[in-house]
Amino acid sequence: MTAAPIQASELDQAPRDALRRLVLTLADSKRLMGIRYSDWLLGAPSIETGIAASAMTQDEWGHARLLYSMLKEFGVDPGAVEHERATSEYASVDALDRELPDWAALVAAMFIVDGALTVALDSFARGRYESARSRVPKMISEEEFHGSLAEAWYRRLAASSEEARGLLRNATMEMLPSTLAWLGAADAPARSLVEAGIMEAGPVLLETFTQRVGPLLAEAGVDVGSVAPSEEWDADRGRGPGHPDEESAARARGDANRQLLVD
Amino acid sequence: MHEVVYDVFARKARGDSLCHIGYVDALDDETARVYAWRTYDEENWFEMCVVRRTAIIPVNRDDGPFARARKGVGR
Repeated sequence: MTAAPIQASELDQAPRDALRRLVLTLADSKRLMGIRYSDWLLGAPSIETGIAASAMTQDEWGHARLLYSMLKEFGVDPGAVEHERATSEYASVDALDRELPDWAALVAAMFIVDGALTVALDSFARGRYESARSRVPKMISEEEFHGSLAEAWYRRLAASSEEARGLLRNATMEMLPSTLAWLGAADAPARSLVEAGIMEAGPVLLETFTQRVGPLLAEAGVDVGSVAPSEEWDADRGRGPGHPDEESAARARGDANRQLLVD
Repeated sequence: MHEVVYDVFARKARGDSLCHIGYVDALDDETARVYAWRTYDEENWFEMCVVRRTAIIPVNRDDGPFARARKGVGR
């Protein structure tokens, strides 16, 4: 993907709508990823890991804030999107809908879900959309630490006790189908982004993802090539038909501190 | 999970002395890098590195943490 940079206002309606969908699903996923990391600030296996989880929480929320701000280019008020949306409107990836039950599940999410988001962002940064070219590379550089930590922990758990390995494998198998469907989306909006030179095609993203995660997933006994993507799909939001649970959405919106919100 | 101690060294600017700023417990070299960078982030370090405590060779004392680590005891 090369060619001159382009702004949202220069796009035809179809790719413009598709770009808005992409920005929103990335922003919501980052916000929910941050919440999942924050769940482990005090319950991580060591103080150092808790500090890393805290740093990753801040990274994800910073990335979400930057992505939400891109929505201004579509005539959307980012503040309303961040703080006033119904839970059913959230477009975050399916695997983050509910609290992760154990450390192995967080490690799987760190490696698979955060990894898939980074593959998508990397493609986004190399496409024609000007705001992505200028803002996303810093996110990707910050994600390098998330990737390093995820790989180290995934490898360690995969080689650990049978119980830990089982938890890791189960979490992996739970997250993979919906994550593959999200990253490899080839519906009309996804195709219009490819035609506009904003994103690479779903199969290309999946190939990149598989090359990155495949060898390590195999160490946990998972053959990523044999996992079928989920078939249920909500084209309006670019994810599966569900949504985050109410508690997660309330945290994402900041409901508990609404009275403190300053314009 | 077996963790080992890594000592963390950093310098604020090019030409500054490399100073010992703390330690982290980590699974391996890669997690030690991440933990060190995230834990000791109060400065905008020019350079940071980590060293396995067992790799540090004591010169004049055999009762400090580095000597004990070489012997496989304590930190």
